[in-house]
Amino acid sequence: MAKPKIAVFKFSSCAGCQLSILNIEDHLLDVAGAVDIAYCVMAKRENREGPYDIGFVEGAVTSPKELLELKKIREECKVLVALGTCACFGGLPSIKNFAGPQREMEERVYTELWDLKSIPAHGIDYYVKVDAYLRGCAIDVGELVQLVKSALLGVNPHFRPHSVCNECKLKENVCLLVNKGKPCMGSVTAAGCDALCPSLGRPCEGCRGPANDANAASLARTFSVDLGLSRDDVRRKFLKYAGNTPEFKKGAEAV
Amino acid sequence: MPVEAFVLPKADLGGFVAKLKADCEVFGPVAKDTEFVFGPVAAAEDLRLDYDTTILPPKKYFHRPMETLFKFDGAVEITGEGEEVGKQVLFGVHPCDINALLSLDRVFLETYPDPYYRARRENTVIIGLNCIAPCENGFCSSFNTGPAMDKGFDLALTDIGDKYVVEVGSAQGKELAAGLAAASEADLIAKNQALRACQQKITRRIDVENPGELLHQNVEHPKWEELKEECLACGTCTTVCPTCFCFGVKDYVDLSLKAGERPRTWDSCMFYEFSRVAMDHVFRPDRAARIKQRIFHKLTYFNQQFEAPGCVGCGRCVSTCVKSIDPVEIVNAIQANPNPPREVKLYTPPAKKVTPETSPWVPQKAVIKAIKQQTKDTTTYTFAFADPKVQEAYTYDPGVFNEISIFGIGEAPISISSCADVKDSFDHTIRAVGNVTNALAKLQVGDIVGIRGPYGVGWPVEEMKGKNVLLVAGGIGLAPLRPVIKYIQARRDQYGDFEILYGARTPNDMLFTDEFDEWRKIPNTRLYLTVDIVPPGVEWGHNIGVVTTLFDKMASRPENTIMVTCGPEIMMKFVVRGLLARGFSPEQIYVSLERRMSCGIKKCGNCQIGPVFVCQDGPVFKYADIKDLPEEIF
Repeated sequence: MAKPKIAVFKFSSCAGCQLSILNIEDHLLDVAGAVDIAYCVMAKRENREGPYDIGFVEGAVTSPKELLELKKIREECKVLVALGTCACFGGLPSIKNFAGPQREMEERVYTELWDLKSIPAHGIDYYVKVDAYLRGCAIDVGELVQLVKSALLGVNPHFRPHSVCNECKLKENVCLLVNKGKPCMGSVTAAGCDALCPSLGRPCEGCRGPANDANAASLARTFSVDLGLSRDDVRRKFLKYAGNTPEFKKGAEAV
Repeated sequence: MPVEAFVLPKADLGGFVAKLKADCEVFGPVAKDTEFVFGPVAAAEDLRLDYDTTILPPKKYFHRPMETLFKFDGAVEITGEGEEVGKQVLFGVHPCDINALLSLDRVFLETYPDPYYRARRENTVIIGLNCIAPCENGFCSSFNTGPAMDKGFDLALTDIGDKYVVEVGSAQGKELAAGLAAASEADLIAKNQALRACQQKITRRIDVENPGELLHQNVEHPKWEELKEECLACGTCTTVCPTCFCFGVKDYVDLSLKAGERPRTWDSCMFYEFSRVAMDHVFRPDRAARIKQRIFHKLTYFNQQFEAPGCVGCGRCVSTCVKSIDPVEIVNAIQANPNPPREVKLYTPPAKKVTPETSPWVPQKAVIKAIKQQTKDTTTYTFAFADPKVQEAYTYDPGVFNEISIFGIGEAPISISSCADVKDSFDHTIRAVGNVTNALAKLQVGDIVGIRGPYGVGWPVEEMKGKNVLLVAGGIGLAPLRPVIKYIQARRDQYGDFEILYGARTPNDMLFTDEFDEWRKIPNTRLYLTVDIVPPGVEWGHNIGVVTTLFDKMASRPENTIMVTCGPEIMMKFVVRGLLARGFSPEQIYVSLERRMSCGIKKCGNCQIGPVFVCQDGPVFKYADIKDLPEEIF
């Protein structure tokens, strides 16, 4: 079997997920041996044209230009992977979708408005078909390696769409919400990060987006009634990374 | 007979623990931030015997959160076992957790005993600690699983002030107690007083004579919808539960894509994807149904399945729940506002205990002898075990299944589509829809796969003898029924009239078409065919319409007849309804159900429908036995 040709593209994002790819020192050489990285501007000086077997797209789509590029990428890639929360759900760039009228917000940020061509920030599956999702801000490199292996084997990867609580409890962390009264999003957020933040004593921020059958409205009530968070704080919690998803939107609108 | 009892002065605890540590690892309750966990004990000072409860139960030392079943290299070669099990002592286990282990023993040590759980159980000394103060959320006295223990320990300690009374529960315990002074009458009185005082202080209680009956009468109750709104579906209640046993089995490979391991990891019925099968079909998508499954399983199903308590009242699910969902409160709420009482019949599984000589997790190598394309996506594979002795000894009932493995890809339950009358091989008819079946589709004659089985209860071919048989199949549902046809064909004089009704989506989706003529030639046998649609250009001289439209053409009548059916659940639903309307009774109707049968041996829990394990109680069921399950089928 010829080595699959891989391409990595970047839209509106911080490039942290791409950096995570380069950070997998333990696996990088092995992975690089198993695949042919044909296009990755961050890592290579010489990049080759498509078509590609697997395309990784980082970042949210926030301009018409990106949208056109995305459509071309979709045509060029047999398998298209959303790399990181921005590409999956809109991520941090999508906060702007919920911050009031677009022009008003642009005025608050930029002085020269005449050349701005910005559209609401969405994950790439808002526009094109996506074959696999690597969630997280940033992605979990273990999941990335697993995805590559699964693609090479031709099987569905075993990702964990259940809550972060499961991984957190398996590590026997003291519960930040129940025992410490902190507004942790773990119970409605998809696992796969090995409960990274709660294990370090920081409440889950929900960066991996909604877990399967997430009941965000119920958690929002807990934040509001039991923890005393203001309505705006609760909204911000659920709109920070995945406010575009219907699940977290329900949380944002619950109180 | 009075229990042998000694005393251990608290001042001597350090020496006692040091002695234990001489030849095994000691684990006990230790502090973690504001809570407690079971962890390694370096010295007695680490032990916090004043603990109320721990985040995870000591179950984790027996049914590990992740346990490697074996390591492999290539599709069928096993290269190693899981972790070696050393000798260990669990110090200070509360009665609820000890009773939970006794319940788990029923799951893991009966019907295909699990070698990993058993090795850990046999290598562990349990030193229990009776409770002299109630914990915040416990309700153990509801089930007599606390505050004092009466079995399941090697030694049991009770704190009576400056010393512990030490009761002996096993020969091994007696050895460990060697050198301790005997307990005096006053010590024993002090112990009983302490335990009675604790018992009286436990106010949380599930007080219902027959929880199974109460819950079954209240399957529909506003409380469940209320809980659905509250529950976060995070699964914490099951992760911290000392009796939850469900797990998932997945293969993980290294970057060679060939070598790797097959571990099992804890799973939870509270997760949406718990019951998911190929093509993303989820059998229990509704959160309220999943909450019911958990509560029913704890308070009644476990007892029905294993004759042991499914809840020991440890209170962990309450303490750790963000929404404080509480079994005691749920039962109280239902009791306060119950549905009118009605008679309920609780499901009991068929009595069946299997103890194989080898590990139930290790598949046998089987060679693909022949491959025959049935339809565009469905293929019949003829297998024979690589070891002729295994093949010779291999026999099975019509309608049962095997677990087919390709290491690195996974394992899938597939019904056997041949009849055991054929001795030198067996068939599987497989539609390529998931990871394993798609990988199978790439294999060729001579390739080797792993096979475990046979598992389950098949069609009632014995009971059918002397009776007329009506067989109704839909689509790929004919595969597990083909053995019945072959079986009857070989014993034609032992059965009455035989009618086969077979429907498929289109003529091109029909299986075993080259055998139809042979089936038609079986004496006193009629084959009726139907399809939902006939695409343009396809010739079709038979019925068009769903399979139930054949009922008006068939000669079968309820008298002295057994009906067997397999197909999509929606089809079986209408077949059963149609036949009931024609005077058949639920006692005459047999159906084959599909669920996620991940392990096949009544361990992983994925295939449960209410109290039913489809893998071992079925997959073939008498409709009368399952039609009134709390978790509705059809």
